[in-house]
Amino acid sequence: MTVVIEASGLVRHFGDIVAVDGVDLSIDEGEVFGFLGPNGAGKSTVVRMLTTLLHPTSGSARVGGCDIRTQAGDIRRMIGVALQDAAIDPLMTGSELIRLQAVLHGIPRSVIRRRGPELLERVGLTAAVDRRVGTYSGGMRRRLDLALSLVHEPQILFLDEPTTGLDPTSRQALWAEVRRLNTDLGTTVFLTTQYLEEADQLAGRVAIIDEGRLVREGTPTELKATVGAPTLRVEVDQEHVATTRDVMTGFGEERPSREGRVAIGLSEGAAQVAAVVRALDTAGVTVIHLELDAPSLDDVFAHATGRRLEGSGDEQ
Amino acid sequence: MTGSGMSGVLTAGSQTWELTRRSVVGERRQLLSVMPGLIFPLLLAAVYTKQFSRVLDMPGFPEVDSFLDFILPACIVQAVSFGATAAGSELALDIENGFLDRLLASPVARWPILLGRLAGAAVVASVKTIVILALFLLFGARVAGGPAAMLVLVVVAALLVLVIGGLAQVMAFRTGSQEAVGATFPLIFVSIFMSSAFFPTNLMTGWFKVVAENNPLSWIINPVRRLVINGWSSADAIQALGLPAALAAVTISAAVMALNRRLATP
Ligand SMILES: Nc1ncnc2c1ncn2[C@@H]1O[C@H](COP(=O)(O)OP(=O)(O)OP(=O)(O)O)[C@@H](O)[C@H]1O
Ligand SMILES: [Mg+2]
Repeated sequence: MTVVIEASGLVRHFGDIVAVDGVDLSIDEGEVFGFLGPNGAGKSTVVRMLTTLLHPTSGSARVGGCDIRTQAGDIRRMIGVALQDAAIDPLMTGSELIRLQAVLHGIPRSVIRRRGPELLERVGLTAAVDRRVGTYSGGMRRRLDLALSLVHEPQILFLDEPTTGLDPTSRQALWAEVRRLNTDLGTTVFLTTQYLEEADQLAGRVAIIDEGRLVREGTPTELKATVGAPTLRVEVDQEHVATTRDVMTGFGEERPSREGRVAIGLSEGAAQVAAVVRALDTAGVTVIHLELDAPSLDDVFAHATGRRLEGSGDEQ
Repeated sequence: MTGSGMSGVLTAGSQTWELTRRSVVGERRQLLSVMPGLIFPLLLAAVYTKQFSRVLDMPGFPEVDSFLDFILPACIVQAVSFGATAAGSELALDIENGFLDRLLASPVARWPILLGRLAGAAVVASVKTIVILALFLLFGARVAGGPAAMLVLVVVAALLVLVIGGLAQVMAFRTGSQEAVGATFPLIFVSIFMSSAFFPTNLMTGWFKVVAENNPLSWIINPVRRLVINGWSSADAIQALGLPAALAAVTISAAVMALNRRLATP
């Protein structure tokens, strides 16, 4: 595996503010990397440095094998960028912007005449191509933004909070597109998000940034495992509670639960559920309700920072 | 930038062309904002010509048939100054809404980005100048230097846009705010009045005369006016074109430097 994005000791100050405080990254070709953090954590600042829009105060980084300071031009040719605020000129139409972007990347007109409509179709903007972008909804802008970042078929794609402000349907569509780019074309994706679910859904590996520092890094599963075992909760008839407790504590430590329920931490993970159910069955216990609470990335975040992510768990 | 030699220049050329097109299209789609820059100077010229026809007889005033001939350069400079700051404020808008970042993250050299905006404004200014010229001729003005002098007028207008627009772009990069760029406009407006635009400097007195005589705008307006009033002279044409060309080189370089600074430190 080739490393396509690597950073060591990236630091960026804005006056007295330390926006990014020593970030190390190593991302392989073909990965979808999720960069997770709350408002003001430093996500965009890292993206801006990696995409050559901002010089680091100290530290270094290479993207696609090129140094962000000395080979910025080569990096710009390789990468696709969709920044946090869908950056588009409201006076232009969708197809004009596609053409402009293509010219900036030196793509021949014949190629873009074919690829432009294809791209706009894929992001569902075919009907709006000749309308001025100023009349687009927020979601349409984001989708155009994504299409623009793909005009030159980049090998490395940076998406800064691509689904913030999208409705659930548009969000799903964008996820599908990111997955397609990654699996079909092998595009490496660096994706920032405030949504734990998004990182969980898309990213093979996640880093959590808080106050400019990485606080956790790993696959979503690994990260969740660090928080501890998933909780299995079983509801049974009152007369079976004692038996149930006896059976279940054989699989893991008991955890606090409501009256009429028994909860344990599954020390060996969710794979144990079947065994627990079988054991209960053998013991003649009828299970009324059963639930498994896997730790979420939110738990990981809370564990790492001592705070809960704002708006986590709500879907909007 | 790699992109070997000639092909690199070609690419940069088509990038500049496309960015110019974009800004011209943008201007055309908000024509209303272009109109004041055309109407106001024309109104002023009309009022002045009506009111000041008597100053023509003042001793020391250039020999002209009509005040129109005298005020033509001033009218053009004024019309141009309206559009020129737009090159800066549109750039500030690009910075505010993040469009500039999109441009900067693509493999395009710095100067096509700046030049594209400026060239768009320059195209608009040239069109305005042609409209003004046509109207003046219609109302009886006479350009003694002939078509060549008219061409110089148009090119000077375009070059002035580059000068003022370059300055406005420096402001845009320094502040990143449209309002701040807009605030430079009155400065240019005042400096037009403090030049030989509306009155010959030899008839001025005191500090005003000193300011007007040392105002670079006067150095551009005077030869242009001689081309309009006295007739063609290559020396005047060179002065009229050379000075704004040199100033444009300075302000555009300053704008490129300001852009590079912006990337380095906030
Ligand atoms: N140009 C700038 N000038 C001054 N401070 C800045 C600038 N850009 C970012 N900051 C500061 O740096 C810190 C990190 O900002 P950044 O935009 O990287 O956060 P983020 O993780 O992207 O947040 P969000 O989720 O809100 O987009 C913040 O405190 C922010 O105020
Ligand atoms: Mg951000």
